[in-house]
Amino acid sequence: MNLSTRVMLNRLAPQCAYKRIVTFSTKTAEHAVENQEESKKGVAPAPTPSSPAPVTRKPIIPANYRFVYPEFLPDPKVEWRNPIREKLERLDMLERRKQIDLPEFYVGSVLAVTSSDPHAAGKTSRFVGICINRDRCGLRARFVLRNVIDHQGMEVVYELYDPTIQKVEVLRLEKRLDDSLFYLRDALPEYSTFDENMEAEPLEEGASVPVNDIKVVLRPRPWLERWERQNLRGVANIDEYLKDKHRLSAAKVQKPWEKYDMMKDYRSSIPEEEQTEIFAEVHTDLHTLELQRKRNKRKRTFVKPKQLA
Amino acid sequence: MNQADVTKLMSQLRIAVRPNKRNLKNADGPEGRLLKLRKTVTALVKHERIELFYNRADEARGYAELLISNAIRHGDRHKATMELADYWLLEKQLVHKLFRVLVPRYENYSVSYTRMYKAPRDYPGIYYRQSVLELRGNPYPSLLTDHSQNRSLLHNVLLDEARKEFRRQKLPELVI
Repeated sequence: MNLSTRVMLNRLAPQCAYKRIVTFSTKTAEHAVENQEESKKGVAPAPTPSSPAPVTRKPIIPANYRFVYPEFLPDPKVEWRNPIREKLERLDMLERRKQIDLPEFYVGSVLAVTSSDPHAAGKTSRFVGICINRDRCGLRARFVLRNVIDHQGMEVVYELYDPTIQKVEVLRLEKRLDDSLFYLRDALPEYSTFDENMEAEPLEEGASVPVNDIKVVLRPRPWLERWERQNLRGVANIDEYLKDKHRLSAAKVQKPWEKYDMMKDYRSSIPEEEQTEIFAEVHTDLHTLELQRKRNKRKRTFVKPKQLA
Repeated sequence: MNQADVTKLMSQLRIAVRPNKRNLKNADGPEGRLLKLRKTVTALVKHERIELFYNRADEARGYAELLISNAIRHGDRHKATMELADYWLLEKQLVHKLFRVLVPRYENYSVSYTRMYKAPRDYPGIYYRQSVLELRGNPYPSLLTDHSQNRSLLHNVLLDEARKEFRRQKLPELVI
């Protein structure tokens, strides 16, 4: 039996191979045709649901949401992902945002944060400073404020969703050229000095956030970090303090190939489909909060004229 | 806890991605690793089906997928995508193939653009797992055996029985 089947198989093999080639080619052609048909079908019924789209009212998520609310996106590290925990955190964040107005701000914006402090005179302390870094995500999201007070550089790390925070005001909404401004620690103090009684500078409604292209002047060495290796755009005079050995070592640690490493970017970011899913979930709540904030702002800006006579 | 990078926006891959990269032993470090992968991606786009070590194929697969998905997303008028294609495809005529052939082919796909098989390893030989990496919709015959003609497959057995029964019913008519 075995032998006969083998013989049969041997005889059949070339036929089968030939047959397979033929069937495959026809299959691919069919497949392609099917695909086209499917695509046509996909295109054809698409207008029908899109025409009653205004009725279903799909949430339209603004493209800048990922910059405004980066903490709603989870950590991309796969080992630390947990969809249920992320969802619960998002709900908690929204709950907190309903209690307190957490405005849009970026690295480089000037903020004033009022927080409860058991050791302060009035049990609250207000700190004004420039945001030099934002990191972490979810409920642990935090930012660093820096200011120079009495010739002493001060930095305070606030957690954005910390319940002891009472008020967050954005005094000047702008961005800088770099993603983090830790180099202000090694810059001349005037670049991180902000008046404590500074008044808020309102932006026009609907205007895009301006980028402040100020170039900071660094102090001479010693520095806290090797700034020459970090390709900073917001530093004016770094070349003054560099010797050849610094330039050589900086050139050695550059990684020009990293901008082509797509999988590295993929592993350090959340894919677009997932982002839209996340923001679709929180969009309605965030949008109502934004509208509420706008209304409140208008109320606050209206000042009753004094009766002089 | 870190923050997700929001400056880059990429579409989701339809393949399973490992949480960490493989270093692919190389004397030139990460740059050499990328050069290796560039060679693989170039060969994949050129030949559409290649046989190589499993680890290298698995690493290169993600890059090939992202290259194609970026090309579909942004088209050939996008400068950054063109730079990417220029970097990843060592033979420049393949850039045309990417935008003219592969993008139209994969535009309406809802599955991954590449396919990977485990291949047998030759014995005695190098003890690395072998694999075959191919682009979907390639012109070669399928690697998977076609079992539809197998006589012991259940539906074939049932069809055979049905055919026999049909003949049995027709037999009296034929005799008369």
